[in-house]
Amino acid sequence: MAPKLPISWAQLPPTFLLPDTFLPLIAKRGVKYGWTTAPKRGKPNRFNQQTAGLPTLLQSPAAALARKARTLPLRTGLLAIKKGMTALYDPETGVRTPCTVVQLDRVQVVAHKTREKNGYFAVQIGAGSKEPGNVTRPLLGHFSGAGVSPKRHLSEFRVLNSAGLLKIGETIGPEWFLEGQFVDTRSNSRGMGFEGGMKRHNWKGQPASHGNSLAHRLMGSSGPSQGAGSRVHPGKKMPGRMGGHQVTQQNLKVLKVDAEKGILVLNGAVSGPKGCVVKIQDAIKKPWPTIPAAVEDVKEALHATA
Amino acid sequence: MAPTTHSLRPLSCWKTIFRHTRLQKAATRLLTTQAQPKRTFEESKLIAPRRKSNFKILGPPPALKFKEPIKDVTNAQLAILDPTNARSTLFSKTNPEAAHVGDILLVRLKTGDPFAGVCINIRRRGIDTGILLRNELTRIGVEMWFKIYSPNVEGIEVVQRKEKRARRARLTYMRKPKHDMGSVQNIVLAYQRSRGALRGSGGAGTLGKDELKGGKRKVKGKGKR
Repeated sequence: MAPKLPISWAQLPPTFLLPDTFLPLIAKRGVKYGWTTAPKRGKPNRFNQQTAGLPTLLQSPAAALARKARTLPLRTGLLAIKKGMTALYDPETGVRTPCTVVQLDRVQVVAHKTREKNGYFAVQIGAGSKEPGNVTRPLLGHFSGAGVSPKRHLSEFRVLNSAGLLKIGETIGPEWFLEGQFVDTRSNSRGMGFEGGMKRHNWKGQPASHGNSLAHRLMGSSGPSQGAGSRVHPGKKMPGRMGGHQVTQQNLKVLKVDAEKGILVLNGAVSGPKGCVVKIQDAIKKPWPTIPAAVEDVKEALHATA
Repeated sequence: MAPTTHSLRPLSCWKTIFRHTRLQKAATRLLTTQAQPKRTFEESKLIAPRRKSNFKILGPPPALKFKEPIKDVTNAQLAILDPTNARSTLFSKTNPEAAHVGDILLVRLKTGDPFAGVCINIRRRGIDTGILLRNELTRIGVEMWFKIYSPNVEGIEVVQRKEKRARRARLTYMRKPKHDMGSVQNIVLAYQRSRGALRGSGGAGTLGKDELKGGKRKVKGKGKR
């Protein structure tokens, strides 16, 4: 091994000969117990500010929010339980409309997510009820802090801004949606288990005859051979677990709202089995519904007149 | 008798050595075991006071009483579509006079000509209950599904009952040439004639003729399709 040469011929003279400015930066302030207690440094991308004359970053949280501004609903959605499908007939025209009935079960606002604290605005909604003994203590504290009973289902619904943050502890009924408006639903589809390619990806399969032997439902070739890499390309569709993932149904019309029974009747099908949890929010591909004045305002007006 | 230990080759007789030590160990354990008085509940609380929860766990609000909303929606629909309960009783399982598979049924529609045929399937699904009728028009077998509660269905009549109860729920075998009834047009026409006669000699007779005409027109109409 060659002898180690000095790193630089122009090495700095010993520290005691140097003025303070040339000394390496050592944190003096805020050092306690051997580590720094000074506040964290700012974000590394802070250099790229509007005033810096550089193009604005497209991968910043602010840019992400700006991108979502058009598609984020103005108000929260809610959680419901799918009860099953039936049909509605129009007595005049005789048109039959297949529909899904979902029911709301003690839906309440549990928490808020804000831009300052969490980086986005969202409303946490809880539904159903749960035995307090079956809830962990941290979660119990979370519920009691919000002043609501322990909930079985919890979900977040993003909203555009702080105006969409409904008061914590407020109960939401099906009248939150208007008859005739459009909603998007999200729910987990029925789990099919491990399924073959024909069912999972709608493949054709193979012929029944012409010398075919025991390969009628097989996937066939999984990729090209030598020259193309002799490998299976990433993302190749294959047999595997099917269903049980979230499916969004867009633009379902609200056919009926029954506040007394706590049900919503939605046009068409909603994915998932009976009894599954369905997230319902205003449709993002339709104009936002014009909601009559807030319930609280109406209440006050009613009290004033009475 | 105490077992003898071989001092020279202890490796071969571990068992005997350990037997001795085991006995000794048990003896010492017996000597040192000391009974401790059991702590009372209050004392245990003093030693480790239970952390008092400083938050209040709220009870759930009362649950809704409407457990079967599908039924509610269906009943609300039935109240509008079938106020007299006529259709429900016609296809009810408890009604002995109900229509069964194998009967020849006539469905009168609000728009379009009536359709008659052998009922080969009754699909009971609440508001979506439907019947499958089979007939032969222009010597071609025709099957039609009708939703019994549909507002487009004006009325359903039993033209002829099957003399022997069908022993199947769905008479799909009637599609086979061996069992196919063929056209039931003659039976339906005879039924309509008798109904027209029953209704009275006055205006009813003409009504019957109209119905007959309707029946004929239907054949032509279907043929064109």
